Amino acid sequence: MPKSPARPKAAAAPEIMLPRVSPLADVAIQGRFGADRGAPGVEFRVRHPMSIVTVIARQGQGSAVAAALVPHAPQWAGPDQYFVIAEGRGEGALYRELKSALDGIASVSDQSHGRVIIRISGVKARAVLAKGTPVDLHPDECAMGKSALTQMAHVGVHLTRVGENAFDLSVFRGFAESFWEWITEQAEEFGYMVR
Amino acid sequence: MLIPCPHCGTRPVEEFTFLGDASVKRPTSNDPASMDQWFDYVYLRDNPKGRFDEYAHHAGGCRAWLVVSRNTATHEVYGCVTARDYAKAGGKS
Repeated sequence: MPKSPARPKAAAAPEIMLPRVSPLADVAIQGRFGADRGAPGVEFRVRHPMSIVTVIARQGQGSAVAAALVPHAPQWAGPDQYFVIAEGRGEGALYRELKSALDGIASVSDQSHGRVIIRISGVKARAVLAKGTPVDLHPDECAMGKSALTQMAHVGVHLTRVGENAFDLSVFRGFAESFWEWITEQAEEFGYMVR
Repeated sequence: MLIPCPHCGTRPVEEFTFLGDASVKRPTSNDPASMDQWFDYVYLRDNPKGRFDEYAHHAGGCRAWLVVSRNTATHEVYGCVTARDYAKAGGKS
């Protein structure tokens, strides 16, 4: 049988760089809204782009994973589960770093495109959040850096206290617009800034 | 009804999805002679008044499977453990 001719080599696929677009790009308009007397009670900031990676420890590896994650300031996201977030890292860099650091002891997945983080801060931040979540956000109960999984307006929210009166709310990208509309409405009575 | 989730702390019942009796044991045999046991397991569930151990999925929180012990008459909650701990303890909370 005659030898079939060698297939022509496929040209290397050109690397496609898609710009990251925040799902709130057209929704979170900067400025001041709601009640307009006095200083605004709440400030919102969409943290974008972010590197967001979920880490789920394999069975029996919980403490090993927790120890390995200490330098990355992990956020609790369920039993033996963590979010690691970072700003200003290249596409996929944080994921690759954790993937190799936790090889064999944890499942690591890149959620950078899948979730959006909204930072809410200000003296009325707790009052706004209390309209949606049963989690006790009083400083005595919710220490700095503490995370909780909850629901607000039927949307799953990963909440982390990041400052005196500041919280990061991480929601799935597909729910971000609906969630944004809900939470800004709750903030209207206090007046809010979008930065 | 407030449920003390071992991972998330006290949370309202709306965050949980209930599956049913946690105390029943799945038959271990597929032998046709054990069909009575299977019939019992699948269809004949008790509906007790008083203490009841029930599977609960914390869908609005940590997403873990739990077992909630409560009183079906008064809705008093006695406790909540992970389904894994419940099974390890031999089906007791």
